[in-house]
Amino acid sequence: MDLLGNLAHGFYVALSFQNLLFALIGALIGTAIGVLPGIGPVATISLLLPITFGQPATTAIIMLAGIYYGAQYGGSTTAILLNLPGEISSVVTTLEGYKMARNGRAGAALATSALASFFAGTVATVVVAGSGPLLTSVALSFGPADYFSLMLLGLIISAVLAQGSVLKSISMVVLGVALGLVGTDVQTGQQRFTFGVPELSDGIGFVALAMGMFGIAEIILNLERPEARSVLKTKVGSLFLTREEFRRATPSVLRGTAVGTCLGILPGGGASLSSFGSYMMERKVSKNRHLFGTGAIEGVAGPEAANNAAAQTSFIPLLTLGIPSNAVMALMVGALIIQGIQPGPRMVEAQPDLFWGLICSMWIGNVMLLIINLPMIGMWVKLLQVPYKFLYPAILVFCCIGSYSINNNVFDVYMTVLFAVFGVVCSKLKMEPAPLLIGFVLGPMMEEHLRRAMLLSRGDPMVFVERPISATMLAIASVALIAMLLPSLRKGKEAAMAG
Amino acid sequence: MKVNSKDIAASAILILLAVVGLWLNLDHNLGSARRMGPGYMPMLVFWTLLGLAGLVLLAAFFSGPDPLQKWTTQESVNLALAIAVGTAVWWVAPNFGTFFSSTYNGVGLGMLAGFLVLCWSLGWRLIGCICAAMCVFALLLEQGGLMLALIGTILVASLAEPEHRDRPLGVMGITIFLLALCWWVFIKQLDIRVSVWPQF
Repeated sequence: MDLLGNLAHGFYVALSFQNLLFALIGALIGTAIGVLPGIGPVATISLLLPITFGQPATTAIIMLAGIYYGAQYGGSTTAILLNLPGEISSVVTTLEGYKMARNGRAGAALATSALASFFAGTVATVVVAGSGPLLTSVALSFGPADYFSLMLLGLIISAVLAQGSVLKSISMVVLGVALGLVGTDVQTGQQRFTFGVPELSDGIGFVALAMGMFGIAEIILNLERPEARSVLKTKVGSLFLTREEFRRATPSVLRGTAVGTCLGILPGGGASLSSFGSYMMERKVSKNRHLFGTGAIEGVAGPEAANNAAAQTSFIPLLTLGIPSNAVMALMVGALIIQGIQPGPRMVEAQPDLFWGLICSMWIGNVMLLIINLPMIGMWVKLLQVPYKFLYPAILVFCCIGSYSINNNVFDVYMTVLFAVFGVVCSKLKMEPAPLLIGFVLGPMMEEHLRRAMLLSRGDPMVFVERPISATMLAIASVALIAMLLPSLRKGKEAAMAG
Repeated sequence: MKVNSKDIAASAILILLAVVGLWLNLDHNLGSARRMGPGYMPMLVFWTLLGLAGLVLLAAFFSGPDPLQKWTTQESVNLALAIAVGTAVWWVAPNFGTFFSSTYNGVGLGMLAGFLVLCWSLGWRLIGCICAAMCVFALLLEQGGLMLALIGTILVASLAEPEHRDRPLGVMGITIFLLALCWWVFIKQLDIRVSVWPQF
């Protein structure tokens, strides 16, 4: 089938009443949590995973995806109006966006961010639709050894690009892989590390781990910090851009879209990295770079386009290779596996509804978000006034009911508690939980591919360097590792992460 | 000396986990590289973890200083006490009746007791309250029903925020709102299989 036929099919799926409804729900929830500081997409998606069990796979993924890119729209609202990033990906928007708001151009900044996001979202949708089938056909020629190396590459790059020490991030990845070993060995049926607990024979609950380390641990950490939420003083003002602003923003949007599209595909990339990347780029190449720091529209348009483009293109490795590039995508893998779908290159063929429906619903979701965000901005500003002390009991009870309802067993609730404690310990010791989650998801798949590759090569580990695809992946992985050990590059990364 | 205490603590945890993993893995058949047994991958993973943790430890002596938050004597005593009480309650819980000897209720009671003891000192109060609230939920849910479990959870969780303690009306408002919301979402819409009211 050709691309147009596929897209038509995708729109047919995405435009069904149920899928439209859940795309809207996802977009609304995403905007809400994007606006609210202290709760991010990872926590929300792990919180809502159990709710999606009863839905068809396509609907579930459409809603969860809506939360992710919706959060990119919502995050910028708080950043511009209150100088508070609602999400990590909108940290850089505070730099120029808040200054614009102080200059009385809050409305213009909001409109720029929404329109830039929409444009980038549209381009990214086309890129996903175009490159998906292409990559899939490449991926189908991969052998087990290639897969193993690809996953290793993904893990290493996601650790290298994570915040903080590379060494600790890689340790967290390996710890995640170790946690993924718990349960029944697929080939021999032997119980590993289960301590005789029957509930562990299916492995550690994915939802319990994600909810504990991201949802509950985040509540505890947020409550520790005193709430610093200033009351909105700036007026939103006119949403319309002047001709001059429009002319200045356009090239930045184009560059931001390109940066975001590329960085989103990278393992370990995603929305936050792209917005940083785009901001750095705008500060170097923009014609008005001397205006940066005083409320330059370029510094809003570029990063906002980039984070939304990346939020969507980060689905490419997931949909075509079955490899999650960041923590949110790891949650998507969890959601798919729970639905009985093994993510991988066969998904495009086997689940055309899911693949094309998701792509088209992303574009529809972007249209919805434009409407949700621009004319209804006042409503979201009101939401900001809900203090965290009223929010956290709600998050907590949703976690409780959600973790129980996975297996209708209180065991999962206790597991969530244990992972919450572990999550708090990790954050106190500056150990990043996101690489752990990715390792946990990829671990079992890596073991399977490793076993198959070694069986085929009769126990010869040289197979990983003899096959060209595999060797390339390993080479890139080692270059990435060595590069991060160089002090000059490490400083560059720290600067980028610090904004 | 530029010692990074956080990294030392992190590597200690990782080394402990790796060693325990390697020790537990002694039970599993390794197999050969060609036909890997259930123990082969864990062996690779835990040795890698051990090696990385060693590197983290080594790097910790040069990448600091990054000191840990100091624990007061009260906090240290409190933590030890909580672990002791929790373990003790877990051991004796099965004698309290059939409810506590079935499934995970005994463990849950032990965890609840431990986390409640942890609420004593200010430094541990948040983590103690939030985790205790979840344990209350798990203990109450199957016999007490969803509504009772939610009320218990919200009340315990509200102890975490000092502002809630002086405003019982506000907490009541949150409770009623959340009861209605959870009923609508989980019972009316999603129909999860759980009893709503207490079972006798």
